[in-house]
Amino acid sequence: MMDVGRHPNITLLTYSEVEEVSGYVGSFSVRIRKRARSVDEDLCTGCGLCQEKCPRRVVDTAFEEGMGKRKAIYRSFSQAVPNIPVIDRENCLYYLRGRCKLCEKYCPTGAIRFDQEDTILDLDVGAIVVATGFQMWDPTQLEEYGYGTSPNIITGMEFERLSNSSGPTEGEILTAEGEVPESVAIIHCVGSRDERAHEYCSRFCCMVALKQAHLVHDKTGAEVYDFYIDMRTFGKAYEEFYGRMRREGIHFIQGRPAQVAEDPVTKKLHIEVEDVLLGKWMEIPVDMVVLANAVEPQHDSGRIAALFGLGRTPDGWFAEAPPKLRPVETSTAGVLLAGSCQAPRDVPDTVAHAGAAALEVVRLFNQGVVTVSPTVAVVDASQCVGCGECIPVCPYTAIARGPEEKAQINAALCMGCGTCVAACPSGAITALQFTDEEIVAQIDGLLAPVV
Amino acid sequence: MEEPRIGVYICECGVNISATVDVPGVVEMASDLPGVVIARLHKYACSEDGQVTIQNDIRELGLNRVVVASCTPRMHEPTFRRAVADAGLNPYLFEMANIREHVSWVVRDTEAGTDKAKRLVRSAVARVAFHSPLEARQEPVTQAALVVGGGIAGIQAALGIADSGYQVYLVEREPSIGGHMAQLDKTFPTLDCSI
Repeated sequence: MMDVGRHPNITLLTYSEVEEVSGYVGSFSVRIRKRARSVDEDLCTGCGLCQEKCPRRVVDTAFEEGMGKRKAIYRSFSQAVPNIPVIDRENCLYYLRGRCKLCEKYCPTGAIRFDQEDTILDLDVGAIVVATGFQMWDPTQLEEYGYGTSPNIITGMEFERLSNSSGPTEGEILTAEGEVPESVAIIHCVGSRDERAHEYCSRFCCMVALKQAHLVHDKTGAEVYDFYIDMRTFGKAYEEFYGRMRREGIHFIQGRPAQVAEDPVTKKLHIEVEDVLLGKWMEIPVDMVVLANAVEPQHDSGRIAALFGLGRTPDGWFAEAPPKLRPVETSTAGVLLAGSCQAPRDVPDTVAHAGAAALEVVRLFNQGVVTVSPTVAVVDASQCVGCGECIPVCPYTAIARGPEEKAQINAALCMGCGTCVAACPSGAITALQFTDEEIVAQIDGLLAPVV
Repeated sequence: MEEPRIGVYICECGVNISATVDVPGVVEMASDLPGVVIARLHKYACSEDGQVTIQNDIRELGLNRVVVASCTPRMHEPTFRRAVADAGLNPYLFEMANIREHVSWVVRDTEAGTDKAKRLVRSAVARVAFHSPLEARQEPVTQAALVVGGGIAGIQAALGIADSGYQVYLVEREPSIGGHMAQLDKTFPTLDCSI
C-alpha cells in the first residue's frame, strides 16, 4: 500500500469514480470524478488533529462493519493511503447545521476546504485494468442463521474487525455484553453452495473460517465448533493448516445447521444440526456465532460492466475471454480483469491474477502499436448524398461529416459491424469483406440443394 | 478480378468432426465446386503438417484463395491467416467454415450433419472468391494505464505496470486504498498481518 502511495509512476486518485469511457485498445479516453474531500490534499500533512478535535462520532458501517465508530472527519484506518482525511458531509455538523468548524480552527496548515467541489479529470490511457472486487452477501436473507436477531451472531468480516488490534475492542474477542466467550460456533457456506442464495462455492471462506477458529481458540481458549459441508482446503499449505486446527482441538462437525436461535432467558445461541458423519441430531449452545457468509459481485457490477464493455456470467461475475487460456482478458480488447471481480479469489490467487493482468498491459505497451482488423466500413464519396442517416446509428461514434458534408468513417473507431451499411439509403457504404456480392454468394451457397 | 484458384481443406479434428460428418464426402463435393483447384482431407488441419500442406499447395498449385473447414474461427482463424501469409498469400483471402461447433458437436445424425457441412463449405468457397486483399492497420498505443479499484488486485496490477516504467492512474472510490484486505486481522495460512 505504501509503495503505491510513493511510486513516482502511480497517480493515486482516491475518493474518485470513473464516469465515462470511450475509445478502443491503445487509445481510451476516460472521465473521472474526484469527489470533494473538503480537505486540500497539498496542504494536509496527515497529522490527525482534525479527527481528534471533531466532536461528531458516527457508527462506521464501512471499514468497521458497524462494529466501531469514527468521526465526521476521518481516515478509515491509521495506515490509510493517502494519509489524508475526508469530511463525511452527511454527518458533519457544519454541513448539517452551519456551525462548528472545529477542524478548520485546529488545522495547523489551514487545509480544510468546506467549499471544495468535485473535480472532473479527463485522462488518455492505452489499457484498463478492472479490479473492482467483491462484496459480502447479506446473511439476513436466510432466516435460519438468525443474523440480526442477536448481536452475538456476526459475519466473518465483523469478526475480523473484532479480532483486529486496530478494531473497536483493540483485538479482544468479546461478546456484545463485553465478556470473553466460552464457546463459539463458526458456520461455513452461509449463502454459498445454496440454491436459495449463491450456487457457487465462494472458494476462500473455508480457510477464513479455519483461521478464525484458530484466532478464537488462541486468544480466548473458548471451545470452538466448526460446522462445514465439505472442507475445501485445496491451496498450498492449506490442508496442513486444517490438520493443525484439528490438533489444536477445534471441534469439526460435518453438517449444515438447520437453525440458530437465541434462548430468551439464558441468551445462549442454540445451534441445531445433524452431524452427518455420526448420523446424529445435535443441539449445541454457544456464546457467539460467526457466519462465513458468501462473497458476491459488487452491487453495481452491472453498471461497471456497461461502462467498460464487459460481459458477465449468469452469477454476475465479470466474464473473462475464453476461460482457461485467457484468464485476464475480456471481450473488449485492452480491458483486463484482476482479482475477485472475475470470481472469488483468495490473496495468493489474486496476486497471481493481478500479475497476469499487469503483464498483458506491459506487453501491449512494449509493443507500442496495436494491430487492428481492416474489415471496416468505407464510404464511396461519389455515391454519398450527405443525408447523415449513418451518423446516429453507429454504435462506436465512428462517423462524422467530412468535406461537402459527406460521411467520413474513422477507421480506428470502426468495428465493422455493418449497421451504417444497412442504414445508408444510397448504398454508398460498404463493409470490407462483407460486400453485397460476398454475402449473396454466401447465402446462395447455403441454400442451393445438396446433390 | 483474377481467376480464383481455391484450395479447400476439410478437417476431421480427430474424431470430433469425422464421427458425425462424412468428411470424404464433403471433400468430394468441394473438389467439384467452381474455382476449386484442390480439396483435401486432414486429420488435424491446425497441426504443423496441416499448415505446411496448405502452404505447399499455395506455392506449387498457385492458389490465390484458401478455405479451411474445421472448428470455430475464434480458435484457429489467426493460426491459418498466419500460415497463408507466411506462404505469400494475403491473409484476408482466407475463409473458414465452422463444421465442428456448428455441425458435428450439435448434430447426432450423420446424414443431416454431412448435408449442413457441405452447405457451409460450399458457402465459404462461394464467398472467398469475392474477397479482396486487405492490409491490417497498426494504431499507436498510449503508454499509460488506468487501474480501477485499489484492493489487493488493483495495487498489485498497478505496481506491476508502474515498476515496468509506465504511468498508472489508480482510481479508488473509498477515501483510502487497501480494500477488504486492510480490514482483516491476520491472513491464512501464514497468519501474518494484512497491511
